[in-house]
Amino acid sequence: MRSRSWILILFLSAGILTGWPGISAGEYPTRPISLIAPFPPGGVADLTARPLAAALEPILKQPMPVVNKSGAGGAVGMQYVAVSKPDGYTLLLALSSISVMPEVDKLFGRPQTYKKEDFVPIALLNADPTVLTVRKDAPWNSVADFVADAKKRPGEIKYSSSGIYGTLHVAMEMFAHSAGIKLRHIPTQGGGPALTALLGGHVEAFAVGPSVIASQLKAGTVKVLGCWGAKRLASLPDIPTFKELGFKDVEFYIWAGMFAPKATPPEAVKILREATKKAANGPEFKNAMEKLNTPVYYLDGPDFQKFWDEDAARLAKAVRNIGKVQ
Amino acid sequence: MAETLQNLLLGFSTALTPANLLYAFGGCLIGTMVGVLPGVGPLAGISLLLPTTFGLDPTGGLILLAGVYYGAMYGGSTTSILMRIPGEAASVMTCIDGYAMAQKGRAGAALFIAAVGSYVAGTASVIGLMFLAPPLARFALGFGPPEYFSLLILGLLVLGYMTGGSMVKNLAMVVLGLLIGMIGIDHMSGYFRFSYGVVALGDGIGVVPVAVGLFGIAEILATAGQAKRPEVIKPKLRDLLPSGEEFRDSVKPIGRGTVLGFLIGIIPGSAHIISTFVAYAIERRLSRHPEKFGKGAIEGVAGPESANNAASCGALVPMLALGVPTGPIPAVLLAALMVHGINPGPLFIKEQPVIFWGLIASMYLGNLVLLLLNLPMVGIFVNFLRIPYRILYPTILMFCVVGVYAVNTSYVDVAIMSIMGLLGYLLRKFDYETAPIVLGVVLASIIEMSFRQALAMSDGKYAIFIQRPISAVFLAAALIMILLGLRPLIQKGINRGWREHLTKAEKGE
Repeated sequence: MRSRSWILILFLSAGILTGWPGISAGEYPTRPISLIAPFPPGGVADLTARPLAAALEPILKQPMPVVNKSGAGGAVGMQYVAVSKPDGYTLLLALSSISVMPEVDKLFGRPQTYKKEDFVPIALLNADPTVLTVRKDAPWNSVADFVADAKKRPGEIKYSSSGIYGTLHVAMEMFAHSAGIKLRHIPTQGGGPALTALLGGHVEAFAVGPSVIASQLKAGTVKVLGCWGAKRLASLPDIPTFKELGFKDVEFYIWAGMFAPKATPPEAVKILREATKKAANGPEFKNAMEKLNTPVYYLDGPDFQKFWDEDAARLAKAVRNIGKVQ
Repeated sequence: MAETLQNLLLGFSTALTPANLLYAFGGCLIGTMVGVLPGVGPLAGISLLLPTTFGLDPTGGLILLAGVYYGAMYGGSTTSILMRIPGEAASVMTCIDGYAMAQKGRAGAALFIAAVGSYVAGTASVIGLMFLAPPLARFALGFGPPEYFSLLILGLLVLGYMTGGSMVKNLAMVVLGLLIGMIGIDHMSGYFRFSYGVVALGDGIGVVPVAVGLFGIAEILATAGQAKRPEVIKPKLRDLLPSGEEFRDSVKPIGRGTVLGFLIGIIPGSAHIISTFVAYAIERRLSRHPEKFGKGAIEGVAGPESANNAASCGALVPMLALGVPTGPIPAVLLAALMVHGINPGPLFIKEQPVIFWGLIASMYLGNLVLLLLNLPMVGIFVNFLRIPYRILYPTILMFCVVGVYAVNTSYVDVAIMSIMGLLGYLLRKFDYETAPIVLGVVLASIIEMSFRQALAMSDGKYAIFIQRPISAVFLAAALIMILLGLRPLIQKGINRGWREHLTKAEKGE
């Protein structure tokens, strides 16, 4: 008797946990679409995914729950989408780190958790260049000051990052390689701790998205020396880009985009692209992104693919230049 | 002072609006449940709730989420005391003496003191947050990797020196925990360690499945394995309240736990669990009857439970005063403000007085609500122990599985919990303490990271640990601790060490 009620409990909980499988038929989409954010709630991916899903729901006329599948720097969620059924009902909202991870796997000679080719890009939603940030009392007032000082004492200027091969690490090393300087890398466990290390005086510089330090900049605790974008930032018009300072191949963005698994039917991809175009350019989504200090930068599938290929090539080169850390 | 009072008045006028009162009450209620459920800790709780706050106004959203956060610290003690399952990681130390008290029929007293201690700690640290936030936050940022490493070394030595039983066995368990904590990605080089290609292991072994497995599952297995039918403890009504002696014994631990928890909580990146084990160790050292620890000492509940509540409040200091999200929980709270276009920074308190003071006032009210919520519940909770084991234990097991699964929606975590349950059962049979394993798992990555970050900062020179004054003080204290431990070896027979007295007392000599 006891064992039989056990089996019942197991079955019931299994049903609750996995959800009963739905039946699909007819025009896409006929049932809810899951948008996977491979990072925890409150992160950039999550905060972009939720207003986007909210704007897509009335267009696609289906609920679009955002599911946070975090772990291993996003690898868990990205792999989940890469191997999920390509029926257009499981989508991914990923950040630029999606291009870095396969390169790092290659560097270490381990099997890739997923490949760049496992995904079809639907739309790019935002792309903010990082900015070189130092404390207010730092001795440098320009990128030239910074580079000259770093050349005088190679490997002594310390910078924090969100983690090894993380976005903030790759951006800084791309610049250091182009400028021919050596900096000392202090990885931390995320963007917040990286900022803490700078403000606490444990490191001297870091590369960061402009939205993160907007309030610090206003309070005058930090200053910005240079920008990784191709163009100057609208919010920081006085800050020169590395490109105009002569570092031709230094370009880096923290971006967020929507993807589907590779073999998703082209009709579904087309419907998704059109719906996302409407949603991303609508006032609702724009307003939500403005509040986060992250302007919308929309690119449709094919254009996004081109942007992504170029970006991934730059990142791959930077990762190879960093190499394995001893 | 007058300005603070005026601001506080503004805060209360914000917090006392019907909507905000409802959010504070709702947050505290959800927090209590989050704390009671094994597995689902405060981080998972507020993460799951974050999207629902997007539709609220920023003050209401923050009040709700903060309520969940500090409410969880109240609830966490309940299952620790009644069933030896830590409701969240910071309640691991409460399991030891809280559960021992429950087995002696003093569950009501333990729950009562836990609630009162949490209330005192919560309220006192809101006062600290109100007056000291900006200067303390700036001091806390000075706490870099070298300081943090030295503090942890001191903490572990304090624990090793002050815990009774076999020191060798305890240290072996700490090391086992540290080894388990080594699994996963090496944050300094990007190599995977002992993950054998399992992507989910890349993040390492989480503390929740380990704690629930080692304590909860192991307890269920052990009870089921008893030859004699376990007796159901029927609590009497007069046993619900602590005795006068238990009250007197709790006053000082609550005070010490509050101060210690608040200070440790402020330090960037620090985990609440650190404040609880340091509080436990200190209470044991200062207690008049240290031999009672582990067998149901009220101080072992009062100290850690006050410390974890104070620490949860302290962790808000750098976020509110400087806009720096020093850990995952403040980061989620920050996100709740950011979606409304409010970007907290060093000017946050000045620019958003309604939100800051509204939150402060709501925390006073919230703590009071939690006390009023928890005290009557003591009577109800204690009655859970009346439920026959054949019904109670399968239910607990289900909650363990669901709770652990829900944190990361990961089956791997459930598997880890099961393995840890078996391990915990075996270790109990061989008379090993399992709490040090949990500490080891929590601290492994923090110790390693701060040690290697410090060495990266100094380019490999170990002198950094003694060149920085705060770090040097901690290391000096650690050295004194080691010398104290060695004293009985040198002065044989003249001055018996405290540990030796303790061991003797435990043997009943």
